[in-house]
Amino acid sequence: MSQHVLLNSIDHKDLKVNTSRSAALGDNLWFSVTFPQEFRSIQAHYPIFFHKDAATGQFYSVALFGFAQNENLFLTDSGWNASYVPLSVRRQPFLIGQQTVREDGIERQQRVIHVDLDHPRVSQTEGEALFLPYGGNTPLLDEVGEMLEIIHHGLIDSQRFIDALIEHELLESFTLDIELDNGKKHQMIGFYTINENTLATLSADTLATLHQQGYLQAIYMALASQSKVRDLLNLKNAQG
Amino acid sequence: MQKPITQIVIVGGGTAGWITAGLLAAEHNVDKGVLAISPKLNITLIESPDVATIGVGEGTWPSMRSTLSKIGIDENDFIRRCDASFKQGSRFINWRTDAVDKSNSYLHPFSLPHGHQELDLCPFWLPHSEKVSFAQAVSSQEVLSQLGLAPKTISSAQYHFQNNYGYHLNAGKFSQLLLEHCTQKLGVTHVRDHVEHIVNNEQGDIEKLITQQHGEISGQLFIDCTGVKSLLLGKHLQVPFLCQKSVLFNDSALAMQVPYEDPATAIASCTHSTAQPNGWIWDIGLPTRKGVGYVYSSSHSNDSQAEQVLRDYVTANGTSNQLASQLEPRKLNINPGYHAKCWQNNCIAIGMAAGFIEPLEASALALIEWTASTLAQQLPPNRQVMDTIADRVNLRYQQHWQQIIDFLKLHYVISQREADAYWRDHRDSSSIPERLQAQLELWRYQAPSQHDISYKEALFPAASFQYVLYGMGFQTQLPSHVKPSQLQLAQRLFNDNQQRTQALSKSLPTNRALLAKVAQYGFPKL
Repeated sequence: MSQHVLLNSIDHKDLKVNTSRSAALGDNLWFSVTFPQEFRSIQAHYPIFFHKDAATGQFYSVALFGFAQNENLFLTDSGWNASYVPLSVRRQPFLIGQQTVREDGIERQQRVIHVDLDHPRVSQTEGEALFLPYGGNTPLLDEVGEMLEIIHHGLIDSQRFIDALIEHELLESFTLDIELDNGKKHQMIGFYTINENTLATLSADTLATLHQQGYLQAIYMALASQSKVRDLLNLKNAQG
Repeated sequence: MQKPITQIVIVGGGTAGWITAGLLAAEHNVDKGVLAISPKLNITLIESPDVATIGVGEGTWPSMRSTLSKIGIDENDFIRRCDASFKQGSRFINWRTDAVDKSNSYLHPFSLPHGHQELDLCPFWLPHSEKVSFAQAVSSQEVLSQLGLAPKTISSAQYHFQNNYGYHLNAGKFSQLLLEHCTQKLGVTHVRDHVEHIVNNEQGDIEKLITQQHGEISGQLFIDCTGVKSLLLGKHLQVPFLCQKSVLFNDSALAMQVPYEDPATAIASCTHSTAQPNGWIWDIGLPTRKGVGYVYSSSHSNDSQAEQVLRDYVTANGTSNQLASQLEPRKLNINPGYHAKCWQNNCIAIGMAAGFIEPLEASALALIEWTASTLAQQLPPNRQVMDTIADRVNLRYQQHWQQIIDFLKLHYVISQREADAYWRDHRDSSSIPERLQAQLELWRYQAPSQHDISYKEALFPAASFQYVLYGMGFQTQLPSHVKPSQLQLAQRLFNDNQQRTQALSKSLPTNRALLAKVAQYGFPKL
């Protein structure tokens, strides 16, 4: 279970966060959420696909790490074997919360950092501190704050991106059939990708609009990232 | 050259009129969701400003999903605006015998039996009838509806499903949504006016209507959606009405809207139909209220007795005496039957203008959808060939009505309720159509199969007869020969269904939980 609370320097002054990478710390992820601003870094390492959130039915872009539940082929005994780890993974155990504050009598919403106290990364003994001994944030906490801001804006933009893909019928479901060197076959369903046939028939106006929004680049990065499926397959085969 | 048919006039709003307008426009005037710049058909719908629609058609079949999708209505909009909920079939309570206990109930689910394309499981279930109900053996909806679970999850695309479903809805809001969609997106002209006269041409076709304020409205094809008045088909063209009261006695209904006292009350995932001394009570769960009504025979019960039965039902089913005492039922008269034809000359009647029967299997909207989509698909190119098409539509229309009558009557004929004359009278052979009598005799020796249905695309497939017959505890002789290979296949399909049911019972949300997610997120488009 998770226990999300507003992070504060009094209750949580001794809190530490373990930033190493392992299955025990929850890194045995099959895939993780990403968004167009992050695609440039993601596509260099992971295939980008689209997936529905089971709780909301809404589409998200995801970076794929494996072929099955709990399988992260990048995870080794010595950590995460890639030079870029997606922000939605690195943000753990923190998340963004909304808080209503009154300033000069006017109510407004402000984004705040929440922490999941039940997350295996969180303890008073292991990892990096969040607050300095005599007050103030550690660099880790400042970085977390920045990451959460980027994710927050990235997901808002991602929603617009997905809406545009759906509007132009650019999403299609696909089944990934893979065969390993040892002859074992895997089938992966429930993922979506860019429909290249539709993409090829888009009008100049539509392409221009997508380009202005920065989405044309994202579309092609997602397409290019498909070659990374081969890398995943190599990692899987290497496991024997 | 014959003049093509382009001028279509629909008389009467309500769901019948607007579904017809929507399907005609979608079929002929829209391409890939875009209205043509110069549409082929000019569709006008005339609606009396002060005629209230009946608004009790609150249960649909799964066919409504494809109808809505064809018309181009977003499922999320539909659910949010029409207070819709998910319906997976009808549960018949206390129909089998006079006993009032939990086991006296069965579901007629919307799903066809598991593996129906591979094998008809019914004969293979017969030997196990003592251990497991037919619906439970071949469909997951018996168990899932008992658990109040929805037919899908929030991540299934619009109109897609894990289990086949239709809707419960608020009929008044549904008409309004259709009206807006048809007038704003599909180019249908809406005229609010009274039709005062109907003018024929020399051939006896309807040429034009004279309205109170808008003068003459002429057309080449007129669609009568005027409800029980049947202004064009019945009154004007004098097509005879075939009364069915001698077969299906119910001619009255008392309807009530019952708000939930606790907003978190579970929303039933099927229509509940509970047998009563002189009829039955429908119970339809919407998000904020239930629609409840007693359908009865005025020859067997007077209105005040009926009202008491309805009130007793409401208070016995979760409503406090205090709230129930504030609710007033609305009386509806049903003239059970249908006109001999739905299409005469250049006029076709759709909905209650063609015919109406007690809503035991919610056939009213389904028949509207069938007639409207048949018309849209087979729209005559010109007047000269119209009669040819009218003849075949009339033939199928008659077959549909005969099947509806037989199928509804079946529910009563095989009941073993003894206490009330109403139920005994239903089993009097003089009230049972000969076709049905012959089939019942046949079904004593073999289970209903597709061969019992003489034409394609019947409203009720053989499976519906199987669900009702065996839900009611009907006895069919066991098959004498079974091929071992088929027996193996049957066992596999029974097991599959059981596993699927278990998996779904863990993963599906309740009706109310899913509706909350639809309100918040909506189903994805794909």
